[in-house]
Amino acid sequence: MSNAFDFPGGIHPPERKQRSNQAALINAPLPGRVTLPLQQHSGQPATPCVAPGDTVKVGSVIAKREGMISSNLHASISGTVSEINATQIIIDSDGQDEWLRLPSLDWQRVEPNALLERLNESGIVGLGGAGFPTHIKARVVEQHDIHTLLINAAECEPYITADDITLRHYANDVLEGAQISAKLCGAQHIVIGIEDNKPEAIEALRQAIQNSHPITVELKVISTRYPSGGEHQLIKKLLDLTVPSGGLPADVGVLCHNPGTLLAILHAVRDGQPLVSRVVTLTGEAISQPGNRWVRLGTSVKALLEQAGLNQPMLNQVIQGGPMMGAPLLTLDTPVTKLTNCLIAATIVELPPAPEESPCIRCGECESVCPVSLLPQQLHWYARANDDAKMAHYHLFDCIECGACSYVCPSHIPLVDDYREAKSRIRLQRIETVKAEHAKHRFEFRQARLAREEAEKQARKEARKSQQRQTPTSAAASSEKVDLRGLRIAHAAAKASVKKAEKTLARVAQEDPKQPLDDLEMQLATAQENLRATEVQLTQAREQQPSKESP
Amino acid sequence: MSNTFDAISMLSAVAVLTGLGLGFGALLGVVSERFKREDNPLVEQIDALLPQTQCGQCGYPGCRPYAEAINQGDALNKCPPGGESTIHALADLLGREPEPLDGEAQSVAKVAFIREEECIGCTKCIQACPVDAIIGAAKLMHTVIEDECTGCDLCLDPCPVDCIDMLPRTAPLTQWQPVTAHSSNMIASDRQPAPGVS
Repeated sequence: MSNAFDFPGGIHPPERKQRSNQAALINAPLPGRVTLPLQQHSGQPATPCVAPGDTVKVGSVIAKREGMISSNLHASISGTVSEINATQIIIDSDGQDEWLRLPSLDWQRVEPNALLERLNESGIVGLGGAGFPTHIKARVVEQHDIHTLLINAAECEPYITADDITLRHYANDVLEGAQISAKLCGAQHIVIGIEDNKPEAIEALRQAIQNSHPITVELKVISTRYPSGGEHQLIKKLLDLTVPSGGLPADVGVLCHNPGTLLAILHAVRDGQPLVSRVVTLTGEAISQPGNRWVRLGTSVKALLEQAGLNQPMLNQVIQGGPMMGAPLLTLDTPVTKLTNCLIAATIVELPPAPEESPCIRCGECESVCPVSLLPQQLHWYARANDDAKMAHYHLFDCIECGACSYVCPSHIPLVDDYREAKSRIRLQRIETVKAEHAKHRFEFRQARLAREEAEKQARKEARKSQQRQTPTSAAASSEKVDLRGLRIAHAAAKASVKKAEKTLARVAQEDPKQPLDDLEMQLATAQENLRATEVQLTQAREQQPSKESP
Repeated sequence: MSNTFDAISMLSAVAVLTGLGLGFGALLGVVSERFKREDNPLVEQIDALLPQTQCGQCGYPGCRPYAEAINQGDALNKCPPGGESTIHALADLLGREPEPLDGEAQSVAKVAFIREEECIGCTKCIQACPVDAIIGAAKLMHTVIEDECTGCDLCLDPCPVDCIDMLPRTAPLTQWQPVTAHSSNMIASDRQPAPGVS
């Protein structure tokens, strides 16, 4: 099927995939020690549930998910927990490699809830890069109707071949994982998007599609262009659906999964094996045995590269991820995590440092390659000027940070770095604003409570006074008469604001039951305090009113 | 004939315009009474820009009273927790000239911490806290709820045993900000060749 649809922009950087896609997929040697960071996923870090000295097997849970968006963490080797600190757990191997597996599930028979629970237990997260917990992603059906499950096998970044190799070896398993995921989200179609530079993987998929059931799988081969592997770009290209600005693929009824994630889902369900290893591409000119490896999570990057024949004098930098979106590692003394899909040990000739930046000449190259149709040069000016309002106006948060603009910039301006910095600054400001708003509500509640207490005190005092002398002076009473009208108005206003607060709370709670309602509840409490204060004042004034008229 | 016609048309024009004036005047009067707003929307906007520390360093009891004072014409530069950015935001909103900050800007976000073994349980800090962020009871130890504390310092003075410290607030890793230094935009011909790069 030809593709009539397309996303704008895009570039054709040198692919350099040959270096790592020739060798067969092998297991990396078992590490003697693993370092497992508590946060290998988006959301909240996990909480350790073992103590130093505990013996663990491969697959034992060592940290439990914490909060709404989080994920379990499992021991990736058998041995002894030697150290736990605020950010990571270190395990020393006993060399046995003993496994602790969960019972196997027949995904076609069991309830979807059991499958979800299995994904939750197994600590599966999206292995494409963002690391979003898969069991949360699968629950997207609670709010959206999903019609298509999209397998994102485009793998458009240069160097990386992890998905390519995964599909060559495990095409059947990946499709079975896709069937499980489709069952969970209720999708009626499964579509695979793959770039035409992976002929072996395409052939393997063609074979596997024949016997994939119950849902027929459609294979769509697209021409190679970076960044066709972006979720929004792939959805546009394959399905001609446009994901709205600031939205998710689920908003147009699509769910995207990476082949590696689908394989991990199958392993968790069929084999009861939690996420303890992944396929990592080792490549770059500075290693002599490039290729893809099954690597246990927590393996040291340094040890892994040395096993692949690292030539230390030639090494300039190691990049985690691809050359376009990845980040250079500051130290090799860092572990492989759930999100490490590729390690590039690059020489200085291979990936030379960027020349010093020159001023923007407004050539407009960046605009023509932007896959989201943003105006990168405008964003550049505003980012440098810290003009947050303008950046929001130019849709900074729709930027997918693909790096196409930086790649073509003739002035070598690190545009994406500017955007990332601006994004994190704006995110922080938003957090600060929410905090300030919260503090304001607490302050208002306190003021209201103090006012109510003051009014009650006053009322008690007046009551005592009127008991002591039966007739209040006429001067005081006449001033009360003036107050009474004002008090009535204040009382009505307080009543109205209580009603308004109740309504807002009910509406918001109905719209999205999951979001925190603390602030709205506090606003309601503040309004109620105000109401009580005015009520007390009003009753007190009314009691005095007839006592004035009686004599 | 033409004179009377002119007079009539002139009078009718006057009458129509007067009628329109009275009609719209009455309408505006009714609307201004009917849809009267108690709060001043500008004060709300000013209040939204203030940091809501409720610290009183501006000389007013809380952020909202200061917002009201600014609306009445008070200076913009009395908010040390907000710093320069707040002054600029306020100046933008109100169309006034930004002034330099009156006082010392706070470099890092602070949070109050009670040294619990020294606390005598006098409840004075609880009464001073503008956001109810301190819990405790008479003759029992008090403690600060870190997430609710705005770092306003108001609990320091009332404490009779000086057992409250202001500590720098810890930020989670997700709120980490990259430290980047941009190279200045030099003209290419002014540039020295970088060492090691041909």
